[in-house]
Formats: sequence, C-alpha cells, structure tokens
Amino acid sequence: EVGKMKGECFRPLGRYDFLDLGEVEENTQRAQLCRTIKRFIIDPALAKLVTHHLGPDLEESKAVIFECNPGPGVLTRTLLNSGAQRVVTLEGEKSFLPDLQALECLLDGQLEVVHCDFFKLDPMGRGSMRPPAMYTDKLFTDLGISEANWTDEVPVKVVGILPQRIERSQLWKLLYVLFDRLSIYRYGRVELNMFISEKEYLKLMAKPGDMLNYRAFGALWQMACHIELLHKEPWASFVTSSKYKLAIPKSRLPNDNLCLVRMTPRKDLFSASLTPSNAATLVMMVKQCLAKRKARLVDRLNMWSPDSGPKLLKEMGMQEDVLTGHVYPEEYKQLFELVDKSQEFTQSWLYEEVLENTQKEGWI
Amino acid sequence: MSLLRLCTFPKCLSGRILLEISVRRVPYVDHCLTIRNNIERHISEPPWTSQRRHFSALIPKKEDGKKRVWEQSQLLDVLKARIQQLQSDVIVDVQHEKVQFVKASKSGIGASSGNSPKNVFGERTEVPKAGQTISKGGGQTGKGEGKDASASKSRWMEKLSQEKKTKTKKLKQKLGLEDKPVKSSKGKLMLPGTSHKTISTKAGIKTASTVKKSKTLKNQEHTMAASKHEHTMAAAPVAAANVPIRKAKGKGKASKEPAPELSEARNRAEEMERKAEAKAQELAEVEELERKLNQWAVSARPELVQDNSEARVYGDVQRSVRCYLEACVFCGDIDRAHRFLLGHHRMVSRRNLLNIGLYNIMMRVWAKKGSLNQIGRMFILIEEAGLKPNLGSYCAALECMGRNPDCSPHVINRVLRQMEEDGLPVDELFSHCVFRQDERDMVLRAIHTVQPDFQSSINTILQTCSSPLVKDFYTERDLLAVQRLVWHKALVGALREGKIILASSTQKAVRLSLYPYLCLLDEKDYVDIMIQSLSNLPPSGESLHILAKELGNRVHNMFCIRMKGHNQMVDKLSHIYNEYAELLAKDSKEFDVLPRERWWKLEAEHSSGPSLLGDETHWPHMVVVELGTYLVDLMVKHMKVNSDILNSAYDRKLIPVLYHMYTFRSNKQVGFIKPHPILTQMQQDAMDTTLTFDSYVMPMLCPPVPWTSAKFGAYLLTPTKMMRAVEGANQHEILLEKCQDADLHAVLDSLNQLGNAAWRINQPLLDIIISIFNDKGSEKLDVPPPNSEAPKIPRYNQQDSATFTSAEKAHLKREVVNAKKKCSEMHSLRMDALYKLSIANHMRDEVFWFPHNMDFRGRTYPCPPYFNHLGSDVTRAVLVFAEGKPLGPGGLEWLKIHLVNLTGLKKRSSLAGRLEYANSIMDDILDSADNPLIGKKWWQNADEPWQTLACCMEIANAVRSPDPTHFISHFPVHQDGSCNGLQHYAALGRDVIGATSVNLIPCEVPQDVYSGVAQQVEEFRVRDAEKGLKIAQVLEGFISRKVVKQTVMTVVYGVTRYGGRLQIEKRLKEIDDFPKEYVWDASHYLVHQVFSSLKEMFTGTREIQDWLTESARLISKSGSTVEWVTPLGLPIIQPYHRSRTQMLKATIQYLSLQITHDSKERPDTVKQKNAFPPNFIHSLDSTHMMLTALYCYSAGLTFVSVHDCFWTHAITVDTMNKVCREQFVALHSQPILQELSNFLLKKYCSGLQSEVKSKKFLEYRRMLLLLAKVPQTGNFDLQRVKESTYFFS
Repeated sequence: EVGKMKGECFRPLGRYDFLDLGEVEENTQRAQLCRTIKRFIIDPALAKLVTHHLGPDLEESKAVIFECNPGPGVLTRTLLNSGAQRVVTLEGEKSFLPDLQALECLLDGQLEVVHCDFFKLDPMGRGSMRPPAMYTDKLFTDLGISEANWTDEVPVKVVGILPQRIERSQLWKLLYVLFDRLSIYRYGRVELNMFISEKEYLKLMAKPGDMLNYRAFGALWQMACHIELLHKEPWASFVTSSKYKLAIPKSRLPNDNLCLVRMTPRKDLFSASLTPSNAATLVMMVKQCLAKRKARLVDRLNMWSPDSGPKLLKEMGMQEDVLTGHVYPEEYKQLFELVDKSQEFTQSWLYEEVLENTQKEGWI
Repeated sequence: MSLLRLCTFPKCLSGRILLEISVRRVPYVDHCLTIRNNIERHISEPPWTSQRRHFSALIPKKEDGKKRVWEQSQLLDVLKARIQQLQSDVIVDVQHEKVQFVKASKSGIGASSGNSPKNVFGERTEVPKAGQTISKGGGQTGKGEGKDASASKSRWMEKLSQEKKTKTKKLKQKLGLEDKPVKSSKGKLMLPGTSHKTISTKAGIKTASTVKKSKTLKNQEHTMAASKHEHTMAAAPVAAANVPIRKAKGKGKASKEPAPELSEARNRAEEMERKAEAKAQELAEVEELERKLNQWAVSARPELVQDNSEARVYGDVQRSVRCYLEACVFCGDIDRAHRFLLGHHRMVSRRNLLNIGLYNIMMRVWAKKGSLNQIGRMFILIEEAGLKPNLGSYCAALECMGRNPDCSPHVINRVLRQMEEDGLPVDELFSHCVFRQDERDMVLRAIHTVQPDFQSSINTILQTCSSPLVKDFYTERDLLAVQRLVWHKALVGALREGKIILASSTQKAVRLSLYPYLCLLDEKDYVDIMIQSLSNLPPSGESLHILAKELGNRVHNMFCIRMKGHNQMVDKLSHIYNEYAELLAKDSKEFDVLPRERWWKLEAEHSSGPSLLGDETHWPHMVVVELGTYLVDLMVKHMKVNSDILNSAYDRKLIPVLYHMYTFRSNKQVGFIKPHPILTQMQQDAMDTTLTFDSYVMPMLCPPVPWTSAKFGAYLLTPTKMMRAVEGANQHEILLEKCQDADLHAVLDSLNQLGNAAWRINQPLLDIIISIFNDKGSEKLDVPPPNSEAPKIPRYNQQDSATFTSAEKAHLKREVVNAKKKCSEMHSLRMDALYKLSIANHMRDEVFWFPHNMDFRGRTYPCPPYFNHLGSDVTRAVLVFAEGKPLGPGGLEWLKIHLVNLTGLKKRSSLAGRLEYANSIMDDILDSADNPLIGKKWWQNADEPWQTLACCMEIANAVRSPDPTHFISHFPVHQDGSCNGLQHYAALGRDVIGATSVNLIPCEVPQDVYSGVAQQVEEFRVRDAEKGLKIAQVLEGFISRKVVKQTVMTVVYGVTRYGGRLQIEKRLKEIDDFPKEYVWDASHYLVHQVFSSLKEMFTGTREIQDWLTESARLISKSGSTVEWVTPLGLPIIQPYHRSRTQMLKATIQYLSLQITHDSKERPDTVKQKNAFPPNFIHSLDSTHMMLTALYCYSAGLTFVSVHDCFWTHAITVDTMNKVCREQFVALHSQPILQELSNFLLKKYCSGLQSEVKSKKFLEYRRMLLLLAKVPQTGNFDLQRVKESTYFFS
C-alpha cells in the first residue's frame, strides 16, 4: 500500500525502496480465487528462502529471472526487495494481471509483467495462439533477449512450481527441447529452479542399479543437467487455489514434500560428436535401452548393428554381460559418441527410425 | 430363389469345403489380369456352370399380389408378441429357479447313484422351461407361478429375513402400523408356501425310497428340514415385494402421528412430514408406480432379477480352465488334464471355481475310453464338489455304457431312473447335448439295451462348424521363397524345442501352461501362420499386442475347424448343406418357407450323427494374446537373413528379420515389432507380397448358412459371432442365449435375407479401375497411388545443418515427419486397395455372397472385411446384383435419377427435376460411358465418380437396347434416408417442424435440414448483430449450409459442444476470407447457435435425448449397465465399464491389457450416458432396416442395405419405397418410448425398494420418477410419411 501511494504521488520506486508483501490472510484469499487449480507461495518466509536460493548475489547477477505464475506476487516482491536486477513475471491468469501491472508501473524497469503461461510455451497443436499460450521467440524478442552460445553464462533463471497434473509431461517436453536446443534453450543454458513433487525428484535422481526407478527420464536429465536439490518444503506450506485440497499424488516413493530443484544444463553437453541435430538419436537410444532395465546391453547394441555390441563394450571397458540398468548416464553418452563414429551403424535401420519417432511422439 | 437354384452346387460342395480348408492362391492384380487362376474350377467345375452363365434370362418373380397373408402378418405378430411379453410376462416364460434340496448322499458307483436332485438350469446354454420342468422334477405341478416368482428371489429374501431377525422384532413392537401388513402378506403367502412344501417333501421321500441302501433317516430329515427352510425363505420375497407400498403408506400416516421413540423412525417421520406436504403428489406417483412394479414383480421372469449374478458365474476363470482342459484333451494329453482338474478339485479355494461343465469334459474323455470306473469316480468328485450332474454328465455316463457291450442293463436302468428323478427327461439328452463323432450312437445303444424301441423326438437347433479357408495370393520370386523355406525350417526347430522345454517344466498342476495350446495343430501349421503374418506386416511395424492377437486368433480359428473335422461334423454338414442348397434352388411350393426354417427341418431329418452346433468355447483374450506373444517371440529370435542378400557390398552377417523395440506414445511405452528394411525391400522387389487371407475375408462362393440361432450361421466352418463384440466381451452372448428362440426369429431372418443377396463383379469397371491402379493411381478418383508417387523424404546431414538457424532446423524436422507420415498413410491406403481389388479380381467370374452379422446395436454388416458393398465408392462401383431384372416401365427413369443422386448435383430438385436434368445431359452420360478415360470425363467430377461411371454405362446399354423396358439390369439403385437419425427422433417426438425438415411430411421438393438450421442460425445472428454483439457482426455472410452440416448430422449421434466447435472451426478455417483471429470466438458462438436452432426446430428431440441421457446416467450410477430390447426383440446391452489392467508376463516383454468391458467392474457412467441416445437411435434404425428387409423378402425383392441407404433393382424401387415407408410408420406407431420406460422400470426399479437407507432410497426414487416420465410428444401425424416422396430418396 505504501508503495502504491508513493508511486502515484511522487516518483517511480527505486530499487532500495522496500515493497510491502501484503497480509498473509489477504494474499491467501486472493490466491484461492484463482480459477485454475494451482499452488502459490504466500508465506513470506518461504518466499525469502526461495529468493535466498536464487541468490546469493542477486544484485550482481546478470541473469534475468522468470517467475512463473506469481499469483498475488509475494515472491515477486521478495525478489525485488532483495535487489534482483530484472524480474519477468509470466502470469497465465488474467485476474492477477492488473495488480502486477500496477506494481510494474511503480518500478523503474526492474519488473516486467507478461500475460503468458510458461508451461504453455510453444504448444504442439496448431490451434489459434492466444495468450497465455505463446511462442518462445515472441516472448524473448519482446523482452529483448537474444540467442546466446551454449557455453555462455546462464542468461535466464526460471523459478516456479510445476503444475501437478502435467508435471511429468512438462519435464519430458523440456528434456526434448533441451537436447534439440529448441524453445527456451535456443537462448542459451536456461536454468530451471522448480518445485517438483518429491517422488518425481527421486525418479529424476535415481541411480543405476535401482532397477525400478532408474529410467530414461532420469538418465537423460542427469546427462543433460547438473541437478541440485535446494530445499524440501512440505506440501502444506503452499496455498492451493482449489476449494478442496489438491490431492497429493500417491506413490511407492516418499512424497511428503515439494522439492526445489535446480537444473542447470551442462556446459559440455554438446560436443563435436553430440550435436543438437543428432541428439534425438541419443534420446531414442537411451529410451530403447532403458525400456527394459534387466536386458543385456550387448543384445540391444547387437540389435542396432549385429556383432558390434561386444566391440563397443570392449572399447568402453565394460563387462560383456552388463545390464542396461547398470549403465551410468555419462556412459550412455560416451557409448552414443562411439556409435555415432562407427561406420557399422551408418547402415543401421534404427538410426533412421530414431529421428522419426522422437519427433512424432516426443512432446507431451 | 431361382437364382439360388442356378448357383448352388449340389454335387461338388464337399470338394469346395475341403478346398476352403486348404490354402488357396489368388492372383495378384498386377500380374494376373489375364491369367486366370482356375485351381478350384478344375476341381469343381460343375455341370451347372453353363446354366449359370445364362441365369439372368430366367427370372420368375413373385409379384406383389402373390404375397401370402401369413407373411404379412407374421411380423406384426412378432411385434405384438413382444409387446405382450413386455407388458405382462407370460407364465410360460417364468423361469424355474433352483429349488435347492440337500442331497441325500449316495451309495454305489457314481453313475447310478446320487439322489441329488438336479438344478434345472443345466448348463448355461439351456433354455429354461418353466412349468414343464417343475412337473417333471417334482412329479407335481403345484401352483406354479406364485411359487416360482418367490423362489427366484430367494437370494435377496435371505437378506431380508436376516434383516428382519435383527431389526424387525423391535420395529414390530413399536410400529404397530407396519406390523399388520406384514402379517397379512404372510398370510397370503401361506398358500403357495404349503403347496411348495408338499412337493419338496414328496421329492424327499421319493429320493429316499429309491435309494436302496441309502443313508439314514438323518439325511432325510435334513432334506426336509432344508426344504422347509427353503420355502420360508421363498415366501419372503413376495412379502418384500409388498413392502414398498406399505412403506409408502406407512410413512404417509406416520407423518401425521407423533413420532415413535425409535430414532430412525422418527427421522423418517420428520423427513416425511416435510415431504408429505411438499410432495404429496410425487408420493402418489411413486405409489402408483410401485404398485405397477409389484404386479410385474409377481409375474416377472426371475431372470430379470438375477441377470447380473449369472453373468458373473460364467466368469473368466472358468473359461480359462475350460479352454485349458479342452486343449489338453484335444491333443491327447489326458494325464495333464486329469491332474489339472484334480489339482483344482483338491484345493477348496479352487474347487469353488469349478462348475459341472468342467467335470463333464473329463467325464467325456473317460466315456470315450469306456472306463466305467473312472466315470464313477467323476460322479463322486462332482458330489464332493457339491455340484449336480447335468445332462452332459449323464450323457457321458450312458455313452460309456454304450461302449461297454457287457454292461448290465441294470446299471443303465439305474442311470435312467436317476435322470428321471433329477428331472432330466431322456429326450433332452438328444435335444440339448452336443455330440461328437459317434457319441450319439453310443448313447442310443445304451438306452436301447433297456428300452429297445426308444426313439428320440428331436426338433432342435444344431450347430455349425466353421472353417478358415486360407488363401494365398502368390506371385513369388525365388529369393523370398528360398528364404521362407529357411525360416520355416528354423521355426519348426525352435517351436519343437520350445515345446519340449514347456512340457518338461511341469509346474504346479493348477497353473495354466501354454503347452497344450502348442500341441493343437501340427508344428508346420503354426509355422505357416507365423510366416504368413510376415507379409501383412507394414514396413513401419506393428504393435506387439496387435500382432500377437492376430496370430493367436488364427490359431484358434484353425483349431476350431480341426475340431470340427475331428468330431466328424464336416461330412454331415456338407450333406445337410447340399440338401439345403437344393431346396433353396427349387422355387417350388416351398417358397413360403424361410431359409432358417428350411435348415431346421433338414437338421431335424438328419438328427443322427454329430451335432452341427459347435460347442467350442472362445478362448479368453489372455490366452489368445499369450499364445500369440509366444509365437512372435519365436519369430523375433529365429528368423534371420544374411545382411548381404541384397547388396553384396555389405559384410555378410546373419541379422534378424524382425526387431522388438519400443515406441513412446504420450509417455506410454508400447512394444513394437518392426521388419528390417531388408525384408521390406525383398517383399517389394519380389512384387509378390503373399497375400494370405483367412477364409472369412473372402466373399462366400455359395449362399451362407442361414442363421438358425445366435450361435449358428454364416460361414460353413469358420466360427462367426452373430453379434460382434469387443475381444473378450461376452455379455452380448449371454444375453442372446437367454432369449427365447422365437424372439430372435425376425432378426435372424433379416440377416439371412441380407446374406442371401447374390453379387457379381462389374467387369468392365473393374478393368478400368485396375488399369488406373497399375498406372500410378489417382488421388482424385480415390485410387491410391503407389509409394513411388509419395513425396521424397527430405534429408539433411550434419554439414548442412551447421548453416541452418535453429528455426529452420525445426521446420525441416517437421517436414521430415510430415513426409514420413504421408508415406506410411499412402502405403496403408495402397495396400487396402490392393486387397480389395485383388479379391474382386479373383471373384470376377463368380457369383458370390456376403454373409452378414451385426454390431451390438443391431446394425448389420457384411462379414468379409475388405471387399464388400459397405466399402468406398470404388468397391461399391465394382459390385452389381448377380440376379438381373428387366427395367420395366419406370426402371430407366430410376436409373437416371439414381445417376443424378450419385453426382451430388440437384439435391434440392424434385424427382422430376432430377430426371429432366439427366435427360438434358444425355450426351455427357453417353460420352462418359463410351470414353471413360479419353472423353470429356464428365463423370470424374461427380461426388461418387466410379458409381456414376458404372451408372452411365448401365444407362447407355439400356437406351441402346431395342426395348429399354425389357433390358435386363443388374444395377442396384439406392434410396437414402435424409438425415436418418433425426428422422427417427422427429418421429419419436412427433415434432411437426422437425418432421417437415427431414422429409417426413410430403413436400414438392426435398427439404434440407442443414439449410434449415443454417437459416435459423442466421436469424439468431442477425438478432445478435443488431444487439451489437461483435462476433455476430463479424460472421455476417459466412453462415452457410456447409458450415453447420457436419455438426447437425452428428448431433444425433451425440456430438458434444466441444466436438461441434472443433468441426465448425475446421469449416471456418477453410473459408479464405474469414478473419483468422475470430475463428475461435466464431466457432464457439456458432456451435451454441446450432444447438439452440436444433432445439427450436426439434423440440421433442432434445427432450428425448436429454431423457435418455439422464436415465442412462442414473442407471449407471446405481451400478447397473444400460440394457434395452428393440421392438423386434433384440436384447441390447452397453458394454462400457471402468477399465481394468491385466498384466501378461511374456518373455519378450510384459504386456498390460486394458479391459473396459468387464462386467464385474462398475459401469463407466460417462460413456454409458453419452452413448445411450445414439445407440438407442441406432437400434431403432436397424430395426427399421430389418423390418424393411423382411417385408421386401415377402414381396420378392432383392434387398440390401448400407445402414440407412437401401438398395434394390430399378424395377422394384417403387415397391421398396412403399415397404420402407409402411414399416417406418408401423415401427413408430408402437409406443416405443413407453415400452422402453416400462422395460427400464422393470429392470432397474423392481427389487431395490427394500433398501430404505436414506441416500440410496432417494436416489432410487429419483431414478424411478425419471424413468417413468416419458417425454411428451407433439402433433405430427405419422401416417403422412407414407406419402412423402423424399423420406428416402
């Protein structure tokens, strides 16, 4: 309130003016009015903690912060309060926009508000594009962010909560665009700081040998990104827009928390032999191998190109009878690089198939 | 019929059948236009061929005048009978429930022992006959009806009596009100109760006396005590049936009295107080309804109540066990079967899963071996299991005795006596049991030893056998042929090894193993099936599940046929069939006999020998898939090819031909089998894909076997279901089996008539199509081009990719995907056309038939899947009636009108207008006929170009003949219903405006409902635009017939607003001028307007639709599946349930199967409710079609249908039109909705009342009221349909 008054009367707020976060009660009520079912960060302490993890040097960092679906804007204000240089809020819900836009007016360019749902960027269908759906290039061009080299510093940090219902398909979609360097990853190594459910996090981080949970999904993410668990927060700390409690998905795995996970794409992901143009083949290869974790790797390879399995394994220094579920993500990457170099695989039929399948079935 | 005479093959049929069993080769279109494949003709060239060539000349036809009275009235009778049956159930229909006696334990050898009274149900196939059985069973009829009804309810009356024990005591004291009615109802019940008692007592005494050394008085007492208990229970349901009324009354009173102390009652009273005032009327209504229900309940067929439970009894487990046993027995592994059964028997938990049928299987085996001892033992086992021997058991026992020449008559007598006691007349042995090989003779021999002059009185339905004729289209090159030999050898070896492993790994006796299923056929047969499946594999691969299913089903089909051969049924079948064909061919006095009746008669005459009715069990889906998966696994592992086979530059390596991999569909992992490109290449190079068709894929070369029951008909040997269903769903079968035979006659006869229409190939047209097909096809003419015409798949390599921006790369990738997609689509279209044309080409000189069956709503379909008259323009154009008829006075005009209809022009013109148009373009027509490919090509721009061309040729021939009225035409002329679904709705609701717009009311020119709706929408739009609605203004000038057509058409079939919006969006996008940014809003707006326009025009329709939907919703929520009966008596059930996953752990991968039809799961409410209105309307349109078919039969017409499009000869179009209209009026003159309401009430609302738990009770009452509230109808005068020219046109 103070901020607003000032803004109207005097001048844009400077970066050192403190923004009032508003009453918890009131923010909770507003969040609950949201028409789609979402979770929100309302608790100031939680907002502070997230901000802290995005730091420590928010004031120095040049990376733009994308905040997904801020709702009443508690985290937004906290970020600004701790001196973030440039925050872009991507709000999909129209009802929250006026308030955020008012805040935007008050500030001197530290905050930009866009009517856009981060999780609806670059949809697959050819339906009419109306906000909050959007193409990435429009978003980035409007914001004046240009394409960057892969090895450059992180240009954008995204912070948000993955919508529960599409959690997994979103993660797959991000994975595909990452390997293809499409969508947001055209603009460099975008860093994700996402709250995801604990079970999904555990799957993401499953290690070889865990035959139940170690799957292509985790292996590929681990291969592509440096993954860090920043914080665990009980589900109850978040405010849900639904009148009823949003049921917490059941799982064999523990699932008591939402986990704030940082996924930073690896600088050395792409190399001479692994490029965005053949990465889809790698993705396919890993998916095929890990569809059955107790199969022997050599059989899979032989299927691709008869007799080449033992040779490749020897080159890799692996046991002949190694199971696909025992191979580390980095090893899969190396294996692919060998395969890609090998002459024998050029005539492999699977090589052709791969391109087709990932594209057709890959997204969502 | 005359036609049939000329075309049946009295002498050579058996030769045919044999041929059908073996593989036939059909020439490939590309090569064999000239080379005829005459294999079978050499063998079977019959004396009648020459006759047939000229058959078109002689066509004695029944004229309308010759119609027999009975033929006309027959259907009405059926309808009337149905109504009666629905309104008040007839006593004869009352089904006797098991009156359970505790059996006095037996002595002596099993066969003769056992006083155990039998359960009247016998096996599932038996049609229960009410009073009859009682009298036979108990030796005394008693007062049948009341008792039966009560007995049938024993299950829930049990519940009730328990409830009483616990609760009622208190209630009785405190609610004086309720006490009296209970007493009085009990009093009423005493009478039937006592009579019942006497019966059972007598039965008990009798049993006791017949058993010589029988057990002890104790047992008798037991029996009597038990039976007493039994009918006190039996008395209860009637009491219960009375409860609701009482309750309703009681409550009404209670509301005025001070509430009793009992809290429950108080609550109820309070509640009632409120409601009694507010809803006094409703109560009265409920009361009235319930009284009606009670009346029904008294006379109701018990089966209505117990439906569900029975469906469950016939569960999956039993089916699995049964199939397993049968398989073991078939391959002679009796030991395994015996051990398996014993294994189950010894574990109490598993024993409960067994039913009498399973024991009978083993019994039969021992009977074959003549082992009386084993038979005795089986009877003991049955006894132990608490089951009652049924006809099948006794049959086996008698058979065994028949095989033992020295078996003493004494023993046989004992068995017969025993049967009598169990209420199993000896005659029923012959009418209800299925005999294989010489079983019948053996049983007879046994009986004759004691009753030398015994004669079985038979008039039963026998069953058919089936056979896959496997056919091959071959033009093969050496390379592939050699390779196939190699694979064959490898696979046979592998299969043999696999079997040894499976056989030796004897796990627990009760585990189902695949082993017996691998012993049913010769190894080489399995391998043949595997190798044949290779040629149908698309280059892009096939999912493991589908492939496995195909393989499994083919093994099953082949097994069924083998089984029939094994049971010596084929000979008998061919014998009867020959006579049937001969009879069909004589258009003698017998013409008034329907094909079905004729077949029956013949079967009755040839009652000796094996039954024709196959009793094969359909394998559970799991078994089919498991077997198939096993075979696929063998193929993947053992079929190899040298990698240098096509290109010697490559290193020689042995590589697999098939690969198992995964594709990922929306995060689901799907197992996939892909052929190696080398294989695809080889197949393409060889230009000889071996097209292997199972027999049922081909049209039949002889008239189909008539459907004489739901289980027998269509193909000679291949098993065919009369009602198609999802794999593994058996609720339809159960329902059909429960039907009284007579109820289905109309349906069976109409299927038979459709199947008896003979067809021929329109050769000139086929030649033209094939020439285009072989010459690169033509997308415009719907002849799919070969893959060489497909777009090249763009390639990009890594060097290039460096220069592309990422946006360009993304674009390129998308293009690659699109190109690949297009290629695989083209491939499948091409293959489909290849199949159709190859079959047509193979049939080019034949007369052939399409046997018909139907889906679960009664819509009929030809069984052969690829080539039939339901197909595309191309296939339809190639087909003409085999029978020719002169055009007559009006025929030529009909041909011309039909031609204009096919072009799609002049839809809004009157018939005269269309005719005039046709006459004005005669030049174009003749030019098209003469120079189809080099002339003006007028025909190519028609809606249905190929049929148009065919029609042009027919007209050209007719006008050039000396006298067109005598020109013999084979050409089918179509009459289409205009928006048939809406026609039925409009007639149901008697909507005047609606009826006009779908041509139920005579008009000068045809009305077009789509334009009507478009007009109405436009009115709404103008109004909204004036109000200043932006989107309405934007839409100005864009609303046309085309925009709304699809939505209007599909709205009847349940399209939602969501789907409707997508359809309209698509149309709007096609309009170039329409501003793209408004597409979403406009489509959203328009779909609303279309719906409200329809509501405006079809007032009744919407109400009916809503009523149906809501009824289905409440029924489904109450936990039942929606069922109904068509006016022709066909029972229908919607097989939608919540899905369940079943995991199949095969070696190659785990397969999880989604099962959505399991009747044990709760119904899927969304599907049940959304599908009910369209399914109901489909069941009506199919009824209309069947009625038309039947009456056309009696008028002597050739009639076939494509759902709502009816075909006949040009000369008979007028007659068909008349029949069609009359039958529509007749159908809708029935109180269809009222009957539906009655049926639903009876089905879902009787028997539930007792559960007066508040919430459930309220829901139940809501349903009751809704179901009873039949929508009001309008003022449309149905009779006017008869004069409406454009009703069907």
